[in-house]
Amino acid sequence: MSVIEITQLSKSYGNARGIEDVSFEVHEGEIFGFIGPNGAGKSTAIRTLLNFLYPSSGSAKILGMDIVKDAKKIRQSIGYLPSEVHYYDDMKVEGLFRFSAGFYKDDSMKNAMRLAERFQLDTSRKIEDLSFGNKKKVGIIQALMHQPKLLILDEPTAGLDPLMQSIFFDVLKELQQVGTTIFFSSHYLSEVQKLCNRVAIIKEGRVIKIENMDDMHANHFKKVHLHFKNKDENKIRIEGVLQEHITDTTYEFIFNGNTKALLEQLRMVPFDDVTIAEPTLEEVFMHYYESKEGEQNGL
Amino acid sequence: MVFKREWRRAQKALWIWVLAIGGMSFLIMSIYPQFAENKDQLQDLLKLYPEAMLKAFNIDQLGFDTALGFYAIEGYLFVTLFGSIYAAMLAGGILVKEESDRTIEFLLAKPISRIQVVLQKAAGVLAVLFVFNVMITIINYVGFRVAGDDQVDTQTFIMISIAPFMLHVTFAAIAFGVSAFFRKQRLVTSISLGIVLGSYFLSIVASISDKLSGLKWITPFEYVTSAYIIEHAAINPVYILIMLTVIIISVMAAIMKYHKKDLIV
Repeated sequence: MSVIEITQLSKSYGNARGIEDVSFEVHEGEIFGFIGPNGAGKSTAIRTLLNFLYPSSGSAKILGMDIVKDAKKIRQSIGYLPSEVHYYDDMKVEGLFRFSAGFYKDDSMKNAMRLAERFQLDTSRKIEDLSFGNKKKVGIIQALMHQPKLLILDEPTAGLDPLMQSIFFDVLKELQQVGTTIFFSSHYLSEVQKLCNRVAIIKEGRVIKIENMDDMHANHFKKVHLHFKNKDENKIRIEGVLQEHITDTTYEFIFNGNTKALLEQLRMVPFDDVTIAEPTLEEVFMHYYESKEGEQNGL
Repeated sequence: MVFKREWRRAQKALWIWVLAIGGMSFLIMSIYPQFAENKDQLQDLLKLYPEAMLKAFNIDQLGFDTALGFYAIEGYLFVTLFGSIYAAMLAGGILVKEESDRTIEFLLAKPISRIQVVLQKAAGVLAVLFVFNVMITIINYVGFRVAGDDQVDTQTFIMISIAPFMLHVTFAAIAFGVSAFFRKQRLVTSISLGIVLGSYFLSIVASISDKLSGLKWITPFEYVTSAYIIEHAAINPVYILIMLTVIIISVMAAIMKYHKKDLIV
C-alpha cells in the first residue's frame, strides 16, 4: 500500500522556484529518503504535503486521503519535524509536550517523557533557554510522541551530536519494525545511505531520480583510480564513465555498468597501477548536483 | 487546546491593562467630589474654553455636574481609547504571531483545522475582552460609590459599561481580520494602532466640525459616544447593528483568507 502518493504536484510562489511536476510513491513501512541540495524544493514539497502551502497543480494523497480536503484527518496520523524548529518560547518543554498531547486521544504524554529520558532531555527547562540541538530533540519527541503511522522529517539530524544521532537512528529503525513509514529529507547522503530503503533525488524543484538502495549497493558503481608512471599522451576512452577527474599521472572516475565490462575495457589501458573501490553515495550523486548532464546520462 | 493556551498566554497583559486603565478611571472618579464642591466656579471656567474644545470632548453636552457626566468626559475616554488600543493589539497579534514566530508549522501539524485555529483564537480574544470589561465595570462601580453620587441611573451605568465592550470587540475584529492578510506581526501591530488612533482622530473632527459630521459614520468611537448614551440610557441601535456587521464581516474575512493562505513562504 502507498502511504504517500504524489501525482504531478507543482507549487510555485512569487519568484521562488518551488517544485515542478513531482510524482512518486512511498510504500508502507519503508524509510524513504528525499535528498537534494539546499533550495532544491525539499521543504516546499513537504509543506505542500502538510497543506501549509496549497498546490499550484497536481495532487497528493497521504494514507489514501487527499492532502487538501482531508488535511485535518491526515494530521491525526502523522508526526512532523520541521527543518527549522520554532516553538512557543514561553513554554517549558513539559508544557509543550502536554499541549501537543492534548490534540491526541491516547496518552502520548507518557511516551514523550520516556523519549525525553532516552534523548537525555531536561523537560523542566524553558524552551527559549535550550540549545539548538536540544530544541531539535524537543521537535523529534513531539513528532514521535503519539506514535504516528507516518513520520515526516525535514532534515532531522541537523544540530544533533553523533551520539544523539545514533540514538535517533536506532529509534527510527525500531519504529520501522513496528510498521511506521518514515519520509526523511536530507542533504547529507551518508545519512540516507545508512538508513533508507529508497531515495528520491530532487534538484531545482524536480525529482530527477528514484533509486532503490539495494540496487545501488549491488555493484553497479565502481570508483576507479588509475595511476601512470609517465605522462599519458593518449586520451583514455571508457564507456560508462559518469564523472572523471584527470591529472598528469592519474585518471579517476566513477564507473556505472557491468563490472566485467569495466575490466575488459581496462585491459586495453596501459596503466601502471589500479584501485577499484565502492564509491560513496556522495560520489555517485555528485554529478546530479553539479551539472545538468546527469539527467541525460542517467544512472 | 488553542483557546486554552491563548487564554493563559493573555493573562499577564490582561491584568496589567485592567490595573492601568481601571486605576486611571478610579483615580479620576476619586477626584470628582472636589469638582462637585466647586461646581459653579468650574462652569465659569469652562465658559472661557474655546467652543471647539468643549465639543471635541462632548463637554458641551455632558457637563461636569453629575458623576456620570464627569465619568463620561474623563474616565470613559481612557476606557474607550486605551481599551481599544489594547483590544486591537491583542487581536491583531494573535493569528499572525504564529506565522511571524514560525510556530504555525508546529501547530498545524497537529490534528486541528485552520478554521478551528481561527475560531478558537477569536473566542480567546472575546473571552479576554469580556473579562477586561467586567473588571473595568466593577472598578467603575466602586469608583462611583467612592464619588458618593447615589443617583447613578442603573440603566445608564449598564449601557455605558456595555458600550466600551462593543467598541473593543469591534476594533479587535477589524484588527483580527486585517491580520489574516499579513505575515509579519510588527506590521499588523502598526496598522491596528493606526486604525484605532485614526478613528479617534476622525471622531474628534466629526464632533468639532458640522461640515465633517458625516465622518461619524465611519469611526466606531462615534457609535458609542457617551453623550448619546447618557442622554438616552441606550446605545443607538443603528450603530449596534453596524458594529455587529463589522464584527461578523471581519471574522468571516479572517476565516476565508486564513483558510486559503499559504502559511509559510
